[in-house]
Amino acid sequence: MSPLSLEQAPPWSVPLRFFFTAPLFGVAAGVVGAWRGAELVSTRWAPAAVAAVHLITAGFMLQVMVGALLQVLPVAAGANVWRPRLVAGVVHPLITVGAVALAAGFLGLGQPALQLATVLLGAGVTVFVVATGVALLRSPAIGPTLPTLKLAVLGLAVAAGLGVSLAAQLGFSLPLPLGALVDLHVAWATLGWGVMLVAAVAYLVVPMFQLTPPYPLAVARAVPAGLVVALVAWTGGVAFDSRALSWLGAVLGAAALLGFAAQTLALQRRRRRKVTDTTLRAWRLGMALFALAALVALVRRALPEAERLDYLAGVVMIAGAFPAVIFGMLYKIVGFLGWLHLHRALGTAPTMQQVMPEAPARWQLRVFLVGTVLLGAATAWPPLAIAGGAAYAAAFAILFGQLAAAARVQRKATGGAQRKQPEAGQRSR
Amino acid sequence: MSQPRVTVDGRELFPPEPMQRVLAALATLAQGECLELLLAREPFPLYELLRRDGHTWRTRLEPDGTYVITITKFSAA
Repeated sequence: MSPLSLEQAPPWSVPLRFFFTAPLFGVAAGVVGAWRGAELVSTRWAPAAVAAVHLITAGFMLQVMVGALLQVLPVAAGANVWRPRLVAGVVHPLITVGAVALAAGFLGLGQPALQLATVLLGAGVTVFVVATGVALLRSPAIGPTLPTLKLAVLGLAVAAGLGVSLAAQLGFSLPLPLGALVDLHVAWATLGWGVMLVAAVAYLVVPMFQLTPPYPLAVARAVPAGLVVALVAWTGGVAFDSRALSWLGAVLGAAALLGFAAQTLALQRRRRRKVTDTTLRAWRLGMALFALAALVALVRRALPEAERLDYLAGVVMIAGAFPAVIFGMLYKIVGFLGWLHLHRALGTAPTMQQVMPEAPARWQLRVFLVGTVLLGAATAWPPLAIAGGAAYAAAFAILFGQLAAAARVQRKATGGAQRKQPEAGQRSR
Repeated sequence: MSQPRVTVDGRELFPPEPMQRVLAALATLAQGECLELLLAREPFPLYELLRRDGHTWRTRLEPDGTYVITITKFSAA
């Protein structure tokens, strides 16, 4: 074993299939935005809006999050997922076809597609939650990352359960309370799964890849605790139709998000090596957008008539903040994993920057920012959604091109060496 | 556990440099001597190497978020 090999990490093919599929969902979301833009901001219930949101969340975000977690759990939390290649091989097709069916159902294919989505996404998420949940329960890690990861996986289970209930209601015409389920699904998916996971991953990757000081223990514990209390309050508010509890949930959720974003920005300012790369810019952008989304959501609570602020908060958080931090993570993780894989296979490797070069990443982030700003502005003036959707789709297409280029660098570097050692870096587990 | 003879501050080093420095420092220690690694995360890949080579370690977490890993070089005694 090479002294630098990370033996716990599963083979490169495990996360890569998710990373390659993910940007295609982002492209599709941008195309839907450009194609049915005016409809997106007409009502919260517009089918095209629901389709676009789920192309980003159940498509792009879920793919990257699942792929990245299967890869980093052993290294980040000492949590070894049982047979990660098998889990990836089962989960990937289920959530890919499931997310396509979900979007297609909302874009006109109707009940049969929603029925298919219910079954496939439900099954895929269940397999993933069980596999990662067991690994996390067995982890010996100390510190705040492990409990935050456990809460995130629990949040995914609750969000997916609520989502499956909603899709089942639409797909199988079940008599369930639609409005209440939607409110709960949105809260658990964004705060309980999305923000919780970003926080858990940030505790690892922000100090490691951006060379900042660590997150202070008190903050790293307060953020997940605040999110849990916010979700419990919000759920109670919906269940008991209590305005006070809903307010408490919204304020606590926004406070936890603002606190996390402010702490991350403060750590980035205190980094000793003042290198500003695209990962740093993407995380900075993501944190600014999280803070903006939290503020817009709070203002919206105070202005019950301003329904369009819901759309703005949704665009800022779902189309903007989450993808931004995911880009930042992907630039580094793909570069790092590519380097690691080559190092395992050959004992030498191109640099991380050669695997994932900086210049196209910078352009990708700029185009993404233009698309997100235009989509946000389209909540006030819908015709802007055409240009916004087009730019948004282009940003994800550039990302796909970057990943393809990274795979080419890896293939070129391994070349004949891999034919001699076909299983280099691909331990069976 | 004796006092650490070497401290490796890996908090602002890019991976895998902290691991490389620890392995290099361990090579300079006598059996039973300790070194201390400061890191912003728990180094599970390093734990695997330490376990393989028979070294022992203890990890604690400071309020500022720093993990302090005290490693004792393999001792035949």
